[in-house]
Amino acid sequence: MQPDLATYATLNEKISTSIASGSGYDVLVTGVGWVQPFAAKNVFEDLANHGVTKKTLGDKTTPAITPATTYNGKIYAWPLTADARAIAYRKSAFVKAGLDPDKPPTTLAGIKEAAEKLTIRDSKGNITRPGFDFNTSPGNYRQAFVQLLGAEGKDLYVDNKPNFDNAAGVKTLDWMKSMIGNVQKFGQQNAAQKPMTYTGESAMGFVGGSIDCSSAGVGKANCDDLGYFLLDDKRPVEYLGGNLASVGSTSKDKDAAWAFIKSMSTDKALEAQAKLNNQIPATSNAADSEIVKSNDLSKFVAKNLDKALFEGGIPNWLEVRNNFNSSVDDVLLGKRDAKAVLDELAQQSR
Amino acid sequence: MTTLTQKSRPAGRSIPARRRGSVLSRQRRAGWWMIAPALLHSLVFITLPTLAAIGLAFTDYSFGGTPHFIGGGNFAELFGDVRFQAALKNTILYVIVVVPVSMAIALLVAIALNQKIRGLGAFRTAYYIPVVTATVAVGTVWLWIFNPGSGLANGVLSLLGLSPVGWLTDPGLALPSLMVVGIWQGLGSKMIIYLAALQGVSPQLVEAANLDGAGRWQVFRNVTWPAIAPAQFFVLITSIVGTFQVFDLVYVTTKGGPGLATNVLVFDVYNNAFQSLRLGYASAETVIMMILIGAFILIGRRLQGANARD
Repeated sequence: MQPDLATYATLNEKISTSIASGSGYDVLVTGVGWVQPFAAKNVFEDLANHGVTKKTLGDKTTPAITPATTYNGKIYAWPLTADARAIAYRKSAFVKAGLDPDKPPTTLAGIKEAAEKLTIRDSKGNITRPGFDFNTSPGNYRQAFVQLLGAEGKDLYVDNKPNFDNAAGVKTLDWMKSMIGNVQKFGQQNAAQKPMTYTGESAMGFVGGSIDCSSAGVGKANCDDLGYFLLDDKRPVEYLGGNLASVGSTSKDKDAAWAFIKSMSTDKALEAQAKLNNQIPATSNAADSEIVKSNDLSKFVAKNLDKALFEGGIPNWLEVRNNFNSSVDDVLLGKRDAKAVLDELAQQSR
Repeated sequence: MTTLTQKSRPAGRSIPARRRGSVLSRQRRAGWWMIAPALLHSLVFITLPTLAAIGLAFTDYSFGGTPHFIGGGNFAELFGDVRFQAALKNTILYVIVVVPVSMAIALLVAIALNQKIRGLGAFRTAYYIPVVTATVAVGTVWLWIFNPGSGLANGVLSLLGLSPVGWLTDPGLALPSLMVVGIWQGLGSKMIIYLAALQGVSPQLVEAANLDGAGRWQVFRNVTWPAIAPAQFFVLITSIVGTFQVFDLVYVTTKGGPGLATNVLVFDVYNNAFQSLRLGYASAETVIMMILIGAFILIGRRLQGANARD
């Protein structure tokens, strides 16, 4: 077996060059949003050929992630780990700002109001502690948009049709714009590029699905100061990413490839993968896993997996995703109008 | 080579025409053998991919399935594509600023390093280090320098009592910031070529000009400048091609952002080919880029020709 490691940033290059060179992979681990485009290009094998049905998938993995594995009613990927994301806040910062640490805001308006109170500036007006951390670099506000849009009651796509070129989409994007420069500088991150709320560099913000509370991680004191909540304007939501395994359609030994995926899907293997990726196992009994039990954040996101939503779903998502990144940036920086950008992205999605 | 061989023969003992033809033929054959590896390399890694790119530019190839001929569809789409328009504008701007500025600074540095000063070797090494350093490493260091929170650049601004700025996150500053890095990184290679050219300037001509009462500027303008013209031309052409192909710096630092503020042609080609998986579309963009580079080189040649006539 020859593993070829890739980050999400270089995953498409790896897969596309392997296709072009005629040496496709036997097993491919991709993410949420990748399955439909590659299934549409016949890069992935229909897992029905290996006895996978919606029932077997539903029995063993978390139902929340099932739609991310399917294209045209067929299953093309087996979920390994789930990257669920919530919002964290610092209880001590809430108390200091005169906010109730037991009742964090969940609506967009409430979060903005609290974030403005929590933002600390120096004498020149420069933000020294963001009131809300988007936890992203420039060019990557797309997933935050998807999560916030979900809280406004809209999934990104419904039946392969865009569902964001509407009042909810414009409201969401305008809300994000109103936060930039107001409670956080555009693209502001710490040097480690980790959620700033974990270490108190921000008072509140988007976080991943697992936190290391040991002294090797952020430490117990930081963990004890953190509380978690879900965005809930029209409905409660948590964003869901994750790692999904597929059999390559050009594999010369598809049964062996499937056997390898099964060996990667044992509880022990998933536990290790989840720990490595700061995620949780994508199993139906994820709440019982050691990694989930090890920290409150994982317990929280595992408990709320039924409220998960994700990006993608259309065959040309990889292309539209690229345009999403730069277009959302343009709106946040005040260079373009939210409605015009969303209309354009919807047009590209059709 | 032929001229020397003929001159070295004693007068009156000319080689018979048939034998001379055979020697020339052998020399020609040897020449072909010697350039064969380079030709083969060019054929496999330059000519064939270029022809493939031109062919793919007229198809909808997207890695999966069979490519279909779509005529000029990709080109028509490109000219309405805001990403491509931004990449085109940014690349031309980058070339227009980085090429002349870096050439001018490199020439000044080369002139300075052509003097008899202490620590000459150390200076020359210092200026050349960025050339031999991997751009990924360079980009990572500059990322830290430009970090809005803890970076050196904002630290300097703070010492001067100025507010921090988003060097790579402000759309108005991101491209100029990358231009600074590009100028700095390309300085060493240009400087070395200029230095070699300056050392080849005839000291007799300089001395003669001095004896005629020419000042420093007049010597530079009328002796040094014409003498380094071939080096100028070489630096200009390689700079235009190299600067047009800026990619790794953008890839490491800004990924084309914020928005499309630093999206450049090669990065856009990469995105279309390997992120959006539209190889046909990316090939069309590559063809346009090749034409643009050709046009810029042509302009460079014209300018060089004008200088030579002057």
